[in-house]
Amino acid sequence: MRLPRLTATLILVLVWLGAALAVLQSFTTAELPIRLGASLVAHVTGMAAGYAAAIMLILMSRSPWLERGVGSHRLARWHAWGGPVVIMLTVIHTLAATQAWAEAGSLDPMAAAKEVLDLPGLATALIGTAILVLVGLASLRVLRRRISYEQWHFLHLLTYLAVAFGFAHQLAGPDLVGRQWLQIAWSLLYTYAFALVLRWRVLQPLFQLWRHRLRVEEVRQESPDVISVLMSGAHLDELRAEPGQFFRWRFLRGQTWRSAYPFSLSAPPTCNRLRITVKTCGDGTRRIARIPIGTLVFAEGPYGGLTSRRRRRPRVLLIAGGVGITPMRALFEVIDLPGKDVTLVYRASREQDLVLKHELDEIAERSGARVVYLVGPSTDTANDMSAPALNRIVGDLSDHDVYLCASPRLAARVRESLMDRGFPRQQLHEERFNF
Amino acid sequence: MSDTALDYRRRIPLITRPSVAPSPSLIRWSLRIVTVMLFSAATAFGVSLGVSAPETSPTSVVQHPVAPTGP
Repeated sequence: MRLPRLTATLILVLVWLGAALAVLQSFTTAELPIRLGASLVAHVTGMAAGYAAAIMLILMSRSPWLERGVGSHRLARWHAWGGPVVIMLTVIHTLAATQAWAEAGSLDPMAAAKEVLDLPGLATALIGTAILVLVGLASLRVLRRRISYEQWHFLHLLTYLAVAFGFAHQLAGPDLVGRQWLQIAWSLLYTYAFALVLRWRVLQPLFQLWRHRLRVEEVRQESPDVISVLMSGAHLDELRAEPGQFFRWRFLRGQTWRSAYPFSLSAPPTCNRLRITVKTCGDGTRRIARIPIGTLVFAEGPYGGLTSRRRRRPRVLLIAGGVGITPMRALFEVIDLPGKDVTLVYRASREQDLVLKHELDEIAERSGARVVYLVGPSTDTANDMSAPALNRIVGDLSDHDVYLCASPRLAARVRESLMDRGFPRQQLHEERFNF
Repeated sequence: MSDTALDYRRRIPLITRPSVAPSPSLIRWSLRIVTVMLFSAATAFGVSLGVSAPETSPTSVVQHPVAPTGP
């Protein structure tokens, strides 16, 4: 049974159609004549926030339909855009509903807030709102830098609780009561969203843990701040992982089990081994460097569409920056083209930052592919990674599929330069890790 | 625990270990069945939540008791 392919456009159409229906619903229950006031704002934002919260759950459920059809980085981008929208709608709904209550009862806002909080289900809904606001604040760039990934991740997990708290309030909300078919549809939206999360974020990794029994076999130092973790397990071919894809790894030890880290495979997977290569730049990744041999690994995935299947053109350019070499290293070994017209451009600040260099040289020598190392300061014209510079390296750039994985800044620079020069968007394949 | 018991416990997995490993196809079908069961349960739960949902809204301003204005 092959899963039907969902495209990003189709998903967006369905999501916006659902949003329009949810918002229109609040107009059908509004008092006539419809007046733009606190009551209408509360109705519209309440329905929109409730709907968007369920959609956010679905988009981040790691369902293979979405991961393959839309792509992980695009889903993450939608989530990064939609998350703040849900929080803003919820906050506006809270304020507008309190104001509407005050107006209806001729109360001052404080008295209205106190009265509203005594209503059934409203205290838990307020806790849910508070959690959402907390998560939103923690994701602001200024605060995000001050907290660890583990703390940020834990806060994000609390959003499930926040959404569940809000659900009871929505079901008893004035837009849904008295319309049983709508209450059933709304309940199904939420139970399906949670079922998707349970199926793909909980049951699937647990199943994989049981089936593949993945364990750390070796931790190898590649450079002063980069390590490779080699893991062995059983039936790994059943994962159908491809070079260029990534997993979310959870190392089941005291201090590392709580966090799932997204890392790409840095070598083509085999039926009993997987390898990742990690830059130790934070507390969590430093702990991974010290992980004992034999540690069980809980792996969610594979995810991402940065695979050789995306290739459309006769030639390939792989662009890697720093530790972004990991998916490129795996792809470099397996992309098989007539004439071996594959070029890997690898950018690093210092010679010692060129990780896996000996492997890349060996693959290039064996396959006839080409590696170009750009080492040194970015101000050096020899390290230019603009579209004209890349064109000089590979010849006719428009005849290439370009695979890109680098730091957000370098990736943005390369992407913008390519787009400015009219490079076709569908020939640029990226994986962005930005958490 | 005595040495004999320890020894016995150590041997149990060897005795009870199944000799036939489940085939990938059996595993795939089991997962599909689990998925169907999970979504059947989600459907039943969702429908029951919707059917038993409140018929009046405590937060409706239409039903809000308006405070008396003036004597």
